[in-house]
Amino acid sequence: MTTKLMGQKVQRVEDQRFLRGQGRYADDVAVGSDTLHAAVLRSPHAHARIVDIDVSEVLDLEGVHAVWTYDDLTGPMAEPLPLLIPHPALTRGRTQYALADGEVNYMGEAVAFVVADDRYVAEDAVGRIRVDYEVLPAVVGLPAARAAEHLVHEDVPGNLGARLEQEVGDARAAIEEAPHRLELDLTVERSSCQPLEGRGTVARWDPDLNRLQAWTSTQSSTGVRAALAVKLGLDLGQVDVITPDVGGGFGVKINHPWPEELLVPLAAKALGRTVKFTEDRREHFISTAHERGQQHHIEVGFDDDGRLLGLDVEFWHDHGAYTPYGLIVPIITSTQLLGPYKPHNYRVVFESLYTNTVMVTPYRGAGRPQGCYAMERTMDAIAGYLGKDRTEVRAVNFIQPEEFPYDHGLVFQDGRELEYDSGDYPAMLEKIKALVGWEEFPAFKAEMAALGRNVGIGLACYVEGTGVGPYEGAHVHIETSGKVKVATGLTTQGQGHATVFAQLVADELGVKFEDVEVVTGDTRRMPYAVGTFASRAAVMSGSAVHLAAQRAREKVLKIAADALEVDELDLQIVDGVVSVKGAPPDSVGASIDLGTVSVLSNPLRYAFDEASKAATQFSVGDPGKPPVAEDDEPGLEGKDFYSPERATFASGMHAVIVETDPDTAEIKILKYAVVHDCGNLINPMIVEGQIHGGVAQGVGGALYERMAYDESGQLLNASFMDFLMPYVTEVPDGIDIDHLETPSPLNPLGIKGAGEAGVIPSAAVFAAAIEDAEGIPVTAMPISPSELFALRQSKEPS
Amino acid sequence: MRIAGSNVIDQPVDKVWDALLDPRVLVATIPGCERLESTGENTYAMTVTAGVAAIKGTYSGSCSLSDLEDRESLVMKLQGAGAPGTVDATVNVRFSEPAPGQTEISYDADAVVGGMVGGVGQRMLSSVSKRMAGEFFANVGNAISQPPLVEPAETPAGVASAQPAVFTAPAKTGGISSRDDFIKGIAVGAGLVVLGVVVGGIFGRRRG
Repeated sequence: MTTKLMGQKVQRVEDQRFLRGQGRYADDVAVGSDTLHAAVLRSPHAHARIVDIDVSEVLDLEGVHAVWTYDDLTGPMAEPLPLLIPHPALTRGRTQYALADGEVNYMGEAVAFVVADDRYVAEDAVGRIRVDYEVLPAVVGLPAARAAEHLVHEDVPGNLGARLEQEVGDARAAIEEAPHRLELDLTVERSSCQPLEGRGTVARWDPDLNRLQAWTSTQSSTGVRAALAVKLGLDLGQVDVITPDVGGGFGVKINHPWPEELLVPLAAKALGRTVKFTEDRREHFISTAHERGQQHHIEVGFDDDGRLLGLDVEFWHDHGAYTPYGLIVPIITSTQLLGPYKPHNYRVVFESLYTNTVMVTPYRGAGRPQGCYAMERTMDAIAGYLGKDRTEVRAVNFIQPEEFPYDHGLVFQDGRELEYDSGDYPAMLEKIKALVGWEEFPAFKAEMAALGRNVGIGLACYVEGTGVGPYEGAHVHIETSGKVKVATGLTTQGQGHATVFAQLVADELGVKFEDVEVVTGDTRRMPYAVGTFASRAAVMSGSAVHLAAQRAREKVLKIAADALEVDELDLQIVDGVVSVKGAPPDSVGASIDLGTVSVLSNPLRYAFDEASKAATQFSVGDPGKPPVAEDDEPGLEGKDFYSPERATFASGMHAVIVETDPDTAEIKILKYAVVHDCGNLINPMIVEGQIHGGVAQGVGGALYERMAYDESGQLLNASFMDFLMPYVTEVPDGIDIDHLETPSPLNPLGIKGAGEAGVIPSAAVFAAAIEDAEGIPVTAMPISPSELFALRQSKEPS
Repeated sequence: MRIAGSNVIDQPVDKVWDALLDPRVLVATIPGCERLESTGENTYAMTVTAGVAAIKGTYSGSCSLSDLEDRESLVMKLQGAGAPGTVDATVNVRFSEPAPGQTEISYDADAVVGGMVGGVGQRMLSSVSKRMAGEFFANVGNAISQPPLVEPAETPAGVASAQPAVFTAPAKTGGISSRDDFIKGIAVGAGLVVLGVVVGGIFGRRRG
């Protein structure tokens, strides 16, 4: 029997290509000189009326093929871009136009679109377009949005896009009656994903097939396809969207369609030429999406043990200039804030507000980092108030292992109940304490203090709803060569899907891992799919791939049983060969390889090679029956879909020990520990890789990254020169990881998502550790050495 | 962003004032200024080629003036736009005499720098502006002792020939222009602010 691959540290098959520079990204598609290149004129102002656009200097420029402004768009293209996720509370949702219609609402908004022989000419042409703007007051930051002295959209009073309240029990009354009460105000600044590959779209119109093909760097190829069909007035069947290798998504590429994602295909169709747009880094900063900016006010009532009696959270979410992704981020904050705890009485209300800044869509973690920060800082504050150990206060509030499924009585981001399916938080707490050395830390701190060094420890817990619906599907095709081709519709941005899905298929079908080839995000191969977000790929497509492989296996066994004239139950599949269990390996007539089964699955009239002769009409089949049975179809394929009732809830705990420099306030990470529960692990190495990447991104979010907008709405750090991302020098040398595996009962593999986990507790865990080191409350994240220095100054007696 | 600073020229206020009122001086001393044009009362158009860091380009600018106190102060509103970005600024300019035979010019600009320059070059703008202002005033000081030979490039219809309205910069061979191309190249913020100072001067003369 072949070793089961589920749970094995199988090396990633993708890395051979990636590490040898053979990855094929959107910009690598259609590299010939026939391809035209697009550039976009973007607003230099955060808020302005467009008085006039003069393109006369560009029209006759050699090498320019098209210059479009809003006035050149017609039909659905002249309508606002889709509001992807409507919500009843989003009463004033607004989306931008593919090209601005008379008004711009953030610096970077697309105003004009040029297609030229190459990017140089296109950018020169963009530079010659003259736009006359009437600059309007810009609303920048949550205080300005809330004050509403100026409005982002004239018809949105108070800059208020949505207000949503959920309540379980009577939080305010419970707080009033509680023996102890605390209030906290906590803020988190904006950041952004910054995948190393920005956006990119290539499109080609085939006049012979009357068909559009688009390659785009997206997290949802089916979503882009549907949008393209609607916007360009095409039948869905006329549009193929292919996702090539994607150099990182981290959430920003789930939003779609971007203006360029529509304009490039439109230009390809209009000009009859292949057209390409490849975003540059500045464009990624100013014209995609950001996240994280929120202010929180928390009131909590608790008993002498620190047990939550009532929790009342009010927060303000800065969603930027537009709301294409609905209320997903603040809804996630408002529900996932609860983490592993039972609040007993909980009220949460948020306001989602417009500002004249880049719009907000989910960034890895998607509202959870803010929620975790709010909840975990509250736990720390309660412990501090009661003089108790921070882990004790958490422990008394945990949902207990026997309480699953645990229904919070709230509605989650997928419109379903917030019901946790599995987990073991007390066991996890013990693991993280052991891993980081929680009990030993006071001695270490004293030892360091004697040397004049400041150290602090922080801990944060989170629960993450992963694998939200509605569904994903998979198709498994066993070729006559015995090779297995697998397709699933969601896309890949480096997660290692080609490895883990091949592991699942190899296990289920009994084929060699290297004989399985996985394709993702190609609508020609799997037209029904949703996308890659919410840590859902393994849960959703993994389950679908597993089920599709089961369907294929059933068919293999049925055909093989016929051919070998044995009962299906007596058969096994090992290394691509179906054989009778217990029969000697070389016994004649006791085995058949998968390739031959595939040949037999397709009754032929015409042979095309030696193998196919076996399937022709004088060779096989019962003359008394139709060659293809009524309930069957030709070919050796399996297809299935997985659609869960609700999300499955992964969980984790992080702890960090930091050292702060007494003079420079530099913050150094001494130890970082992670305990993680994503149910059964398909590939522990890939899960650990996800955790490493998430922690690195979280370090950036907690200590370095911010969007430096000035009061006029200019983004001052729109380059890697000024926007600080952690290098390897800023990421902990080693991350200690331990796994807990509580299988999910919601899917056949017992798995939960792992993609976002590493980044969720960062702000919380660093704020806690720095506060512990310094003895100064840390209430705003991220925190830089300069800010920590300023905090120290403000606390010193004057 | 705010850009404030002051420079002292070793020439008496009267001479500095007069020099600053001479568009032939200005077009030759403002780094990157290629063209200066009177477009009507209280309004001027100008063309400046400049760059901040690697972001170079040509800006078309305009300005309007208010609150003029002859030889003392003025307020200028400036707009400049080009492919690399935009500048909108309000500049308060004051003239004083710190010592006999010297003129101090103080400027305080509240500028909104937008577009690519604003995002990528912003952190350099403040220091560059101050350096450029110093460069410019030094040029003006030199120009007073060594007047440039610049003739009007054209005389638009409707403007008296005695009052030439369009000036272009001379070939950059003389001693009054900055020879430092790098410094010149990073002059957009300073260039426009300084331009405000000098165009204000022109207006002052016309009223005076």
